[in-house]
Order: sequence, then structure tokens, then C-alpha cells
Amino acid sequence: MGRSARRLVPCLARLLPMAALLLAAPPVGAQLRSVELYAPRPFGHVIGDTLALSAEIVLDAPFRLDPASLPRPRALDYWLELANVRLTNGGASDGVQRYTLDLTYQTFYAPLEPKRLTIPAVPLTATDGTRQVAIAVPPWSFLMSPLREIVATGESTPMALRPDIAPRPVATASTQRGLLAALGGLVAGLGLLAWQMGWGPFGRRRDRPFARAAREVRVALAASARSAASSTAPASAPGQRAALLALHRAFDATAGKGVFAEDLPDFFRAHPAFTAAEAEVRRLFAASRHLFFGENPLEIAREFPPAGLIALARRLRAIERGGA
Amino acid sequence: MRLAHETDSILSDWRERALRFETEIGKVVLGQERVIRLLTIATFARGHVLLEGDVGVGKTTVLRAMARAIGGSFERIEGTIDLMPTDLVYHAHLGEDGKPRIDPGPLLKQGEALSVFFFNEINRARPQVHSLLLRLMAERSVSAFNREYRFPHVQVFADRNRVEREETFELPAAARDRFLMEVQVGMPADEEARRRLVFDPRFHDVERLLMDVEAGLLDPEAIETVARVIQFGVQASPTLQAYVLALWSAVRAPHEHGVVVEGVDPERFIQGGASPRGLSYLVRAARVRAWLEGREMVVPEDIRAVFPEVMAHRIFVDPIYEMRRERLVGDLIAGIFARVPAP
Repeated sequence: MGRSARRLVPCLARLLPMAALLLAAPPVGAQLRSVELYAPRPFGHVIGDTLALSAEIVLDAPFRLDPASLPRPRALDYWLELANVRLTNGGASDGVQRYTLDLTYQTFYAPLEPKRLTIPAVPLTATDGTRQVAIAVPPWSFLMSPLREIVATGESTPMALRPDIAPRPVATASTQRGLLAALGGLVAGLGLLAWQMGWGPFGRRRDRPFARAAREVRVALAASARSAASSTAPASAPGQRAALLALHRAFDATAGKGVFAEDLPDFFRAHPAFTAAEAEVRRLFAASRHLFFGENPLEIAREFPPAGLIALARRLRAIERGGA
Repeated sequence: MRLAHETDSILSDWRERALRFETEIGKVVLGQERVIRLLTIATFARGHVLLEGDVGVGKTTVLRAMARAIGGSFERIEGTIDLMPTDLVYHAHLGEDGKPRIDPGPLLKQGEALSVFFFNEINRARPQVHSLLLRLMAERSVSAFNREYRFPHVQVFADRNRVEREETFELPAAARDRFLMEVQVGMPADEEARRRLVFDPRFHDVERLLMDVEAGLLDPEAIETVARVIQFGVQASPTLQAYVLALWSAVRAPHEHGVVVEGVDPERFIQGGASPRGLSYLVRAARVRAWLEGREMVVPEDIRAVFPEVMAHRIFVDPIYEMRRERLVGDLIAGIFARVPAP
């Protein structure tokens, strides 16, 4: 019994430092929970292809990946280039720290026949501030395929350039929609403006009789001015009459019934906006009474020269539009 | 040139008299300015007038006031169901000697000087009386005692109330057409006028009230001349003539002018009417109104102001619309003035 006890002591004495070491520094496997590599299919890649690898790294909580240990994008080999490195922190939860490391490679190997190649492991360092632990994204191997046959069997020369990839149409649907919407808005806006201003066909709007009258007054007076210039007629009576008639029709249409001089107070009560031009309108009605029913048709020419009549028509149009 | 000037001064002198005439009648009849204006127009257009309205709105009072203000001889008769034409013309009675005698009746009594003949409740009289009246209005003459009596200055005023229809006789169209105007007399709209009519004792005694009216303000014989001067002195321009003709055709065929009267079949609504005589009356009345307004030209407002009174009773509507005629014809006239453009 004593013999066996004697044998045990040195054994313990040898083990103790190891145990102490174990207690002081837990094994590497304890800091690294797992590294899982997600990769594309391992075959059928040709020269110029990009290979997107993604590694999910799970560490024990106080440990973090040392950003300085991440590989820089660079040419790793004569045929392999690390095109892009992106580390995504998945956050810490339940005592573990998750990372996603996306590695994008591009292969420039030109095999004559299918050939297995290997992307080397990526060494990384995890640290909790004081200790450092080496971890590695495992290597990944895949099959590369040639682009052409070794000996040409077809008619064309093997070195001839392949046709370019047909350009993929750029997605323009949204741009087109935007353009259409903008054009529609423009047309609607112009239409609204024309409606408001009484341009073009909107000059015949039922509720814009003065817009139409202003045009007719201009046309009538211009026509009579032409005929007066060509003939020796002293006054442009027909034009005056037509212009006045157009204005009267506009008053009638605005009021919804015939408006005579005696109705003007009612008219101004019903359409207060026109009181701005009350004096002129009264003068107009008085003059028109003389022209149409009186013995003094020249009165109107003195009261309202053509320019004055056009100005009044424009004024009324502006009032009607609400702009004056 | 001299003549024109003279005409002008006659017209303006008489215009002042006409306005005074209106004021005088306005003193005793409150709130009826429009009726008074229309009656003045009728007087100076030498036209007969039929007043229509409710009982007690002052129809008789306004006519008696007018008769007093116009001057000349005045006769009145009440329409009753047993009134016969002979009662108007003859007065049969027993003389002092006990023999039956036939003297001139109310119509003939005043002879040629008769200026205002006032027929009360005309729709109570029989058609025989209406036909006598027709001749009196149209020709200003009647036959009696085997000769013709002429009344060059007579103006017939008649009234009828709208309330009762029993024991009444509708006036024949021909007789109605002879009236220049049918004037509706309504309640005074003015609150103050109503109050005064009810509470002011001055308005309670009509006989005394009428004494306030200056008698014989117008000379019936001169009115005839003045009326003629007005008709020649107030001008109607070609534009106005075209307007009146357009109104006329719109009355005859409203749907062709886009006049819509609610609730009627436009094809059968208007049966006829709006005779040329009616139109000539219309222009006559419009000229007088223009003169009263101090103008020497007829304007569409004049036509519009007298149109309902002069034309409404001359428009004949389909019998099925007769009961609603007042509203429908009113709508029609309003529609015509809204749609027919003037000038």
C-alpha cells in the first residue's frame, strides 16, 4: 500500500503543473465554438469566375476577431485573387459572439482539362484583450473546367474570340414609369393652367364667357379696322356692334339670363368681383344703349375707342379669372 | 326742327304731369307702385285694363283714384249675373206722369265726355254683356236708340277677383285680347305700407281718402294727343324691332328658342295667341314706359317691364295646363327673357 502511495506522489507532482496550466489557460477549442464554411458548388468553374465563400464564425463571448488579422484583398497566387473581404458582426448573445466573414475570390486559372484547385485556409486571430487565439477558415477545393477543347474538332479556329455575352438589358421599367408620371404631371399642369387662363379650347368654357368675349372683341375690332382701312367708311360700326354684342353675350352667360342696363345693380350684387370695373361697365351699357337703340350711334366710338373696348374686355376677363 | 323741339317740350311737360299723377294716386294707394306705374302706362297708351287680385287689396280704390285724377266723366257698374246689355245702355223707369220711359243708361248718360268706364267684378256679368263691352273697347262705340254713340276718350277699367269661381263667366278670348293689360294686384310687400294700411285711420274711409287726390290732373281730351305724340316721339331702333320680333317668335314656339318650362310638353304647351294686336299693344306700352323713364328710345328693359301684363293673357295654353297657367306662363316669360338675346 505504501509502495503504491509512493508511486502516486511523483505522478501527481508531474500532473499538477499541467493542471495548473489547464486551469490558467483553457484550451483553444474552448474559445472557438465553430467555423462553418458556406461555398458555391465545387465544380464547373471557369477562368474569370468569382467564388463567394462565406464563413460563420462563433466564438466564446469575451473573445473577438482581431480586425487586423483579416486578409487584405490582394492577389494570393498567380491564378487566384482575393477580390473582397467583408466582416459582419452578428452580435453577442448567450455567451457567444457570431461573425459572418464573406470572402470573394476570383480565379484566373486556365486548365486544359478539369483540374482540382484549392483555396487556402485563411488564418485569423481572436483576442479577449490579453490572450490571442489563432483560428482559421478552412481551405476549400473545387474543380475548374476549361473553356475550350484541347484539340479543335470544329471548323473554327480554337483561338478565335467567342462572341461577347449578349448585353443584358438594363432595367428601365421604373425609369420609364417615372418619365411617364412626370410627363403626365406636366400635361395635367399645363391643362390646368390653360383651363384657368382660358387658353385654346378652354376659351369656350361655359363659366369663362369673358375669355371668349375678349377674343371675339379683338377679332371683331381687328376685322373692322382692316375693312375701314381698305374702304372709305368713316366709322367701324359693324365691328363695334359685334364687339359689344360679344361683351353683352358674356354678361348674359355670366348672369345666366339677359342682363340689361337696369339689371346692373342685381348683376353686381350677384357677382361682386365685377364691382371692380363697375364704372366702366355702366359706361359700356349706357354707350351700347345709344348704339343699339338710340339715335346717336357715334356715341360709342367716342366713349370707347377700339383700344378701350379691348382693354375693358381684357379687364373683365381678368376679373372673371379671379386675377384682378 | 321747330316741330321736333315743340314735341320735346310737350313730352317733357306731360311727363312731369304723369309723374305727379302717379304721386297723387300713390298718396291713397300704398305699396302698389308697380300697379300704379302700369296703370299710368295704360292711360297714356290709351289702353283698357283688367285688374285681377284678391278681395280687399285696393283694386277699386286705385281705379277710383285714377278716375278722379284723370278727370272727365266717370261711370261705374257692378257686374251681376242678371245684368244684361240693355241695363248698361238703357234706363227703364216710370216717369212722373206714370208712363214707362226709356232713358239713356249708365253708359250713355255722360255722352261723349265719358272718360273712364269702370266695370266692377266683370266676370260676374254674362257673355252678352262681355260682347257689348268688346265692342265698346274695340270701337269705342255702342248702338242705342237706333243710332251709334261714340266715346272717343273712353278708357275701360275692369276688375275681377280670383277667389270665387261660382256663378262667374270666363271672359272670352276676344274680349281679353282687347285689354291692353291684365294687372295682378297683390298684397303690398312693404312692411311699413301694410302697417299704415291697417292702423292709419286715414285709410279706413275710402270716400274721404279719395278727396286727397287732386281731381282732373290730366285732361282726357288732351291725353289722346299726348298719347299720339309719345308714340311718334319715342323711337324704336331696328335692333329693338328685331328683338321684339324674336320675343314674339319665342312666345309662339318656345322650344325652338331653347326655352324650357318645367313640367310641360313643349310641343303642345302653347296653343296660340300673342296676336299682332297684342304685339302692337306691347310696343305702345313700352314706348310710354320709355317716355315715363325720360328716354326718347325704347330699350329692352321697357319691353320687359310691360311684357307680363301685356302679353300673359294673350298666350293661350293647352287646356290641360290651364289650371296651372299663371305659374307656367310666368315661367315661360321669364325663360324667354333669359334666352332671347338682346340686343
